[in-house]
Amino acid sequence: MGDVEKGKKIFVQKCVQCHIMEKGGKHKTGPNLHGQAVGFSYTDANKNKGITWGEDTLMVYLETPKKYILGTKMIFACIKKVERADLIAYLKKATNELATALFITKQNVP
Amino acid sequence: MSSWSRQRPKSPGGIQPHVSRTLFLLLLLAASAWGVTLSPKDCQVFRSDHGSSISCQPPAEIPSYLPADTVHLAVEFFNLTHLPANLLQGASKLQELHLSSNGLESLSPEFLQPVPQLRVLDLTRNALTGLPPGLFQASAALDTLVLKENQLEVLEVSWLHGLKALGHLDLSGNRLRKLPPGLLANFTLLRTLDLGENQLETLPPDLLRGPLQLERLHLEGNKLQVLGKDLLLPQPDLRYLFLNGNKLARVAAGAFQGLRQLDMLDLSNNSLASVPEGLWASLGQPNWDMRDGFDISGNPWICDQNLSDLYRWLQAQKDKMFSQNDTRCAGPEAVKGQTLLAVAKSQ
Repeated sequence: MGDVEKGKKIFVQKCVQCHIMEKGGKHKTGPNLHGQAVGFSYTDANKNKGITWGEDTLMVYLETPKKYILGTKMIFACIKKVERADLIAYLKKATNELATALFITKQNVP
Repeated sequence: MSSWSRQRPKSPGGIQPHVSRTLFLLLLLAASAWGVTLSPKDCQVFRSDHGSSISCQPPAEIPSYLPADTVHLAVEFFNLTHLPANLLQGASKLQELHLSSNGLESLSPEFLQPVPQLRVLDLTRNALTGLPPGLFQASAALDTLVLKENQLEVLEVSWLHGLKALGHLDLSGNRLRKLPPGLLANFTLLRTLDLGENQLETLPPDLLRGPLQLERLHLEGNKLQVLGKDLLLPQPDLRYLFLNGNKLARVAAGAFQGLRQLDMLDLSNNSLASVPEGLWASLGQPNWDMRDGFDISGNPWICDQNLSDLYRWLQAQKDKMFSQNDTRCAGPEAVKGQTLLAVAKSQ
């Protein structure tokens, strides 16, 4: 179980150059991670892999993003294993709110 | 979808060869309809209105030619000490070049001549010990240069000559022990400088003179012992400052003066026993709401009267304090082991 507070610090240190975590925020170099990026032009590599982002997939992805998704533009940021767990805990918590909202909306769409 | 080009469709037992061949052809047709084409060397190729994106990893082979509309090229995880001489020939529209994890030992000085529109160059995890003079002569459009995790022991200002538009410079994870004076003098657009995880013991006091809008400065994981009062003066709009994991024992009283909008300050895991009065005066509330926070944990704080100024400051922004439980007093005996916040509260 990762430490959310430590994860937030890692996010600020290693991810914020290119990503934001803000509801409805404008994308930077990389997608806004709050509720996976509607409207961000992911590389086709990323889209076509068809991944559902969860704890397991993120753990593997963040270790070596370029091996997991061939052709991704993300520049490698060294994130040690224990740091990855903390970061993922933070990402989970920070995106949780929007994920729930999306789920409810999907249910109502005919 | 991403790995299909490296797999041959297998014919399941019992299906006639001509049926499996038809299936294969159908697959190819479908694939070209989706904008994916099978390159002769099995690199992954995506085509769009913007141009072609080509990504190569072993077991694919490095392409010997690139389509004229190539905008994005990744050649990664090969075991290459040098790149093929004409790799970028004809790819004059190239915008992003990812060459990480190859083992490159050197680059030829004309290597980037064919790609004057290049915006991003990623050389993470190679074996570069230096850069040839004139490498960036044609790189006035380069915004992002990443030399992370190479083997640079020294840095010459002349290596970076020509990078007029550089916004992001990543030199982290090398073996730099000191930096030349005037390194950033001509980088007026620099926003991010990452010098983390090197062996820096001192910094030239004029290091940050030059860029007009530096936002992020990474100095974590070095061997800095002192933070002088002049270093940060040229950068009043700095937003993120990482000094964690050094050997800082002394911070000058005016070190942070003039920082008007610092959102994140990390001083964790150093050797700070005390800090001078007035150090915190310009940081955080009531002047500015630090958006992300600060961290002073992992230091051997001596929680005596000398820290009164710090105690007052902590009380005012304790909701922005990371690692509260790891920020503890190493002395004096009476308060040893208590958190700084607890001692601050009891004043």
